[in-house]
Amino acid sequence: MNLLALYCTHQTTPLAIRERLAFATPERLAAAYARLKERFPETESVVLSTCNRVELYVARPSDAEPLTPPLLAQFLSEFHDVPLDEFVGELRAATGSEAVRHLFEVISSLDSMVLGEPQIVNQVREAYRVAEAQGSCGSVAHALFQGAIRTSGRVRSETRLAEGKVSIASVAVGDFAKSIFDHFADKLVLVIGAGEMAEETLRYLKDEGVRDIVVINRSPERAERVAAEWGGRTAPWSDLNKWLGQADVIVSTTGADKPIVDAKLFKQVRAANPGRTAFILDLGAPRDFDTNVGDLDNVFLYDIDSLRNTCEENRKARVREIDKAREVIDEETAKFMAEYYHRASGEVVSRLMQDWHGVSRDELDRLFHKLPHLNEKDREQIERTVERIVNKLLHPPLEALKDEAREGTPHGLINALKKLFGL
Amino acid sequence: MQIGSPVYFLKSRAVIEIMLKTTVICFLASYGLAFACELSQLKRRHALARIVSLLLAVAGLVAHTFYLLHRSNQSDLPPLLSSAHDWLLVVAWLAVLVYLFVTMADGELATGLVMWPVILTLVITSRFVTDSPSHRLDYHRGWKMLHASMLGLGTTFVLLGFVSSLLYLWQHRRLKKRLMTTSAVKLPNLELIERLNRWAILTAVPFQAFGIATGFGLSIFAKGGELPMTWTDPVVIGGAITGLLMGVLFVWLLTQKRSPGRQVALLTAWACGFLLVTMIGLQMLTAAVGMRSIHGSAPVASEAAAAAEGRAP
Repeated sequence: MNLLALYCTHQTTPLAIRERLAFATPERLAAAYARLKERFPETESVVLSTCNRVELYVARPSDAEPLTPPLLAQFLSEFHDVPLDEFVGELRAATGSEAVRHLFEVISSLDSMVLGEPQIVNQVREAYRVAEAQGSCGSVAHALFQGAIRTSGRVRSETRLAEGKVSIASVAVGDFAKSIFDHFADKLVLVIGAGEMAEETLRYLKDEGVRDIVVINRSPERAERVAAEWGGRTAPWSDLNKWLGQADVIVSTTGADKPIVDAKLFKQVRAANPGRTAFILDLGAPRDFDTNVGDLDNVFLYDIDSLRNTCEENRKARVREIDKAREVIDEETAKFMAEYYHRASGEVVSRLMQDWHGVSRDELDRLFHKLPHLNEKDREQIERTVERIVNKLLHPPLEALKDEAREGTPHGLINALKKLFGL
Repeated sequence: MQIGSPVYFLKSRAVIEIMLKTTVICFLASYGLAFACELSQLKRRHALARIVSLLLAVAGLVAHTFYLLHRSNQSDLPPLLSSAHDWLLVVAWLAVLVYLFVTMADGELATGLVMWPVILTLVITSRFVTDSPSHRLDYHRGWKMLHASMLGLGTTFVLLGFVSSLLYLWQHRRLKKRLMTTSAVKLPNLELIERLNRWAILTAVPFQAFGIATGFGLSIFAKGGELPMTWTDPVVIGGAITGLLMGVLFVWLLTQKRSPGRQVALLTAWACGFLLVTMIGLQMLTAAVGMRSIHGSAPVASEAAAAAEGRAP
């Protein structure tokens, strides 16, 4: 099989190199496809470029000279104008069935930074779509990427690899906040402090439809920046108690060295809204909310430790599914290879059958010409008998070809058949 | 075969005959198996098990419907009025309908884990209460029907309130204990359950109140061979106390602007649970000891005979 995958990923290559080899914009990607076509005609190619990986899949006809990793590395070097020796040691290559397996592992997110994350499927789909739009896909690329999409579907439905959330913010919002509130459009979100994790949480909350965000920070400049980025407003630190009393969702990440809110204070500020439910996500270390705040009625308090356990359990549960996912990938790789080899020998099979049935048809015509007294029924019987003889004679060589195709393209047998039967 | 032809008529009659011979065991078994299917998915949801569970529930509901129709035909009374046995089965039937509706709306919700035990309890309990008709519809037919329907609907909403409060407490406990969700057991969010719970109680109480009021009215104006209400009737006492309790809960819910959800759920669970246990328990008790009751036991032989003849016993 004349298939090559050349790649660098987050597992093998530092970000500093990956970003220099990335095809960051659609224009760059289109230019890369054009250059590939120009440089390697008769080559099918698909480029997968994400923040975690840059991968090139190229396939050529079986009888064409195979592309080698150095050739493709040279192409990358020239296209990105990066000296070869700066990255060539970071590249990895796989050919034939190993290349197929690699793609199937990538799309199943076994190779992702976060095991089981779903975005990679869309990224691979998009890469395939762009390659198709650029006219770079042939029969091998179509079969390969359709097989990859099928494989990822099987892995997701037959294993628990994608189950459970594994980041603190996603667990907090997806598993807990969404189990408390039915909708978020009418909820007031109070962000205390302006740390990175608070911003990540805001991203998930925005996805759920949050509109009303208030940011309070000791440094007003940072509060302004976060509020502007997430469509919220700021409030002075002195108004903290007022907003604590009104908020439905509180995300806190102040970096204070001791809790800034205890149960007594919280009860006091919520006195005006005694039945109002509060979801508090305390991302501070040390914690910003005293643990006894969580004992109050209608208050659900989560800190990093309580969420980290959930993330870790989900991560472990996903790791336990890796073997099952690999089994699916092995099966799908074997299936893909068998189909591929079968297609490769298919041409010889059809020519052989065409020739033999052609010869039998000619001989039958000659026979019927010599025996004009035969009626339609007799002719039909003779035709069927001859057809059966041809099929029976063809059966052993075709079966042998099929058996050989399970292991790889049966070049030897195909050549022998071509020679023996003058195909 | 043409519709309306004698052969078609005979065949459809035969099918109906078979269906009308359905027993409680038939749909009890269907519901039990549907519940078992739900339990089998505690660890992981399986699409096939979910479909089987749904099919069993539908099959059970069909058998349940035919059973009630058959009983109604036999006693020549609507199921709600014929006996305590039928009345409980009507409430169970409504509960199955609600379960199917919720499951169709969101198949992922673990409603079955809470609904099936309640439905199964109702069906099993119906075996231990009287199944002899204790009403006659010579007088006040419309009012009696209204009384039974109001109580039936009210009890169904009480049942919903009970189930939703259990779901609330389950979800609340999970969130307080910070337990992660599993793909197998998906519970509705607290805000939604709280709304459902409040709505169920606020709907149940007027139905119940109207049902009880018409019941008192019917007893006061009892005629002919009807069993008059007595203030020592355990069903009357139990009904009045639980009705009052639900009324208090109703007023409290209406006057509270915003109250802690767990407190509401706990109160609702206790009130509804108490109402269900009292109503069903008293029916069972009166049936077991053969006590004279307005609903709980069959009229004694002499009363029945007198009633049949249209004279006072």
